[in-house]
Amino acid sequence: MRTFLTGLSIALGVFILVVMQGLGFGLQNGVQNQFSDDAVNSIWVDAGRTQLAYRGNLPNRPVKIRNSDVDAMFQQMDTVHAYSRRVRIWGVVMEHEDKQSNFPLRGVDPDHLMLENTTLTGGRYISSRDVAEETKVTVLGATVVEDLYEGIDPIGTYLLIGGVQFRVVGTFDDPASRWENKMAYLPFTTAQNIFRSNDKVDQIILGTGDMPIAGTRLLSDALLSWFKDRKVVHPDDARGVRIENNNEEYERFQNIFLGIELFIWGLGLLTLLAGAVGVANILAIAVKERTKEIGVRKALGASSSSVVGLVVQESLALMIVSGSAGLITGVGLLEAVSPMIDHEYFKNPQVDFRIALVALVILSVVGVVSGIGPALRAVRIKPVEALRDE
Amino acid sequence: MEWYLRGVIKLNNIGKSYITGSQKLEVLKGLTCTIKKGEMVAIMGSSGSGKSTLLNILGLLDSFDSGEYLLSGESMSGLNESAAAKCRSRLLGFVFQSFNLIGFKSALENVALPLYYQRVPRKKRNIIAMDYLKKVGLEDWAAHLPNQLSGGQKQRVAIARALVAQPKVILADEPTGALDSVTSSDVMTLLRKINADGITMIIVTHEHDIAALCDRTIHLVDGLIDLS
Repeated sequence: MRTFLTGLSIALGVFILVVMQGLGFGLQNGVQNQFSDDAVNSIWVDAGRTQLAYRGNLPNRPVKIRNSDVDAMFQQMDTVHAYSRRVRIWGVVMEHEDKQSNFPLRGVDPDHLMLENTTLTGGRYISSRDVAEETKVTVLGATVVEDLYEGIDPIGTYLLIGGVQFRVVGTFDDPASRWENKMAYLPFTTAQNIFRSNDKVDQIILGTGDMPIAGTRLLSDALLSWFKDRKVVHPDDARGVRIENNNEEYERFQNIFLGIELFIWGLGLLTLLAGAVGVANILAIAVKERTKEIGVRKALGASSSSVVGLVVQESLALMIVSGSAGLITGVGLLEAVSPMIDHEYFKNPQVDFRIALVALVILSVVGVVSGIGPALRAVRIKPVEALRDE
Repeated sequence: MEWYLRGVIKLNNIGKSYITGSQKLEVLKGLTCTIKKGEMVAIMGSSGSGKSTLLNILGLLDSFDSGEYLLSGESMSGLNESAAAKCRSRLLGFVFQSFNLIGFKSALENVALPLYYQRVPRKKRNIIAMDYLKKVGLEDWAAHLPNQLSGGQKQRVAIARALVAQPKVILADEPTGALDSVTSSDVMTLLRKINADGITMIIVTHEHDIAALCDRTIHLVDGLIDLS
């Protein structure tokens, strides 16, 4: 009965550890999913309208970043890990056979796939050759495919975009952004030439790769002042040119996740520790109760090591059996519940195999350690005292 | 001199005292005796005479302070725990007043236990244990747990367990103390039979009937052998 209760407390400890881990992962998955648009280290350059008059220019002047500015910017920079220019054109008529609908489109560079965290679901993405040769190809978002194709594989077909024929070379899904899924991606140069007929660039995304945070801060400050100077914007103007560096935010989230993880592990390990103390306690009592038996075994020739083995084995068995029970119920619960949960900030509460394994290893170690004290006490039992008839 | 050399147990001037609080209690005061191979000896004495202490020392369950103890020609002075455990398992068999069978193990497993500590493989030790259960007439009870057996049967299982490792000496502490007179005489008959196979038998008892069934009796008085 006592053994059962201790087993229960260990099982409960492991169960809590597993469930908390699962919940932690769920939270992490959810939040990560929510912010996966920003999960890529990058710096975003946007142009807006000026607030302040500067060098003879009136305020409220639209600032335009042009192709030449982008080229000049690249000349200023030592290394560029990844980049994409963007132009966006609102509501373009797209027709496939008898179906037609209005969708926005975006002109992008090849790195946009990685910078926007897009999942390619079929075919290929815009290539650098497409950008260089201004080919008329397109990669379609999931919603576009759904509306215009109804189950037909769009890859290889031709689509009329604004009356111009484009070959569909790929399809994509952006799980974090329903907005992107309503778009057709075109090579940047093609989109700019056909649909803009000017050399304006809406946005520049620069990937910062593994650049340290201080470096990205320096880079974004340098870029901001360079752009303000080049586009004649007052240094204190907050709207004319905007640069967003999401590295700091990214790091903040990483820290939050780390904190959550540490908290969960700490909690789980403390619960396990409580269980281990319980086991040691139970074993101490068990050894006392079995004093006579151990004495008999010693009289019959049991060596000290076999007595230690007897007790430690019992501890280990107790730990592993009840620990596994907790592990299995915990994982079972998570498996049963996880399909039902689909909240924005809470997704896929799962415990991976590694964690389960780590938990089992910890259990075994704790089992052995908590068995050692009582085992040594058992060794010290003198057969004479044990066998004395009361 | 020849009987002395043939003695399986030789005690020379054994002393043993316990310290309780500030008082030193001398239990054995220089005890000397020899027990020959194949002898069946009873040790008698009033309570406090040191007979249990003597048995514990003979059984290597307790240490002694002074003197010399030779068991089967080997000195037993200053043995550590594990060496004593080895000697016990090799040379000695125990029979206790309260049987001391392990409650959650069957009769067969109880008998096989000393062999387990000699690392005999399970199959082999179960066959040997079954042989010894047959010898004590309990082969049909092999699968029973101790609490399903009568007192006499329990003691016979304990005797089989004492015999299974083929010891040179069997030490019995009040083997009939918990049994009625009919079962007592059955057990004594069994012990005599075993003794007839050449195993030295030392029985601690306070019953004269039991002592009378032995070859000779050693009387202990106040930690010394009473030769009168």
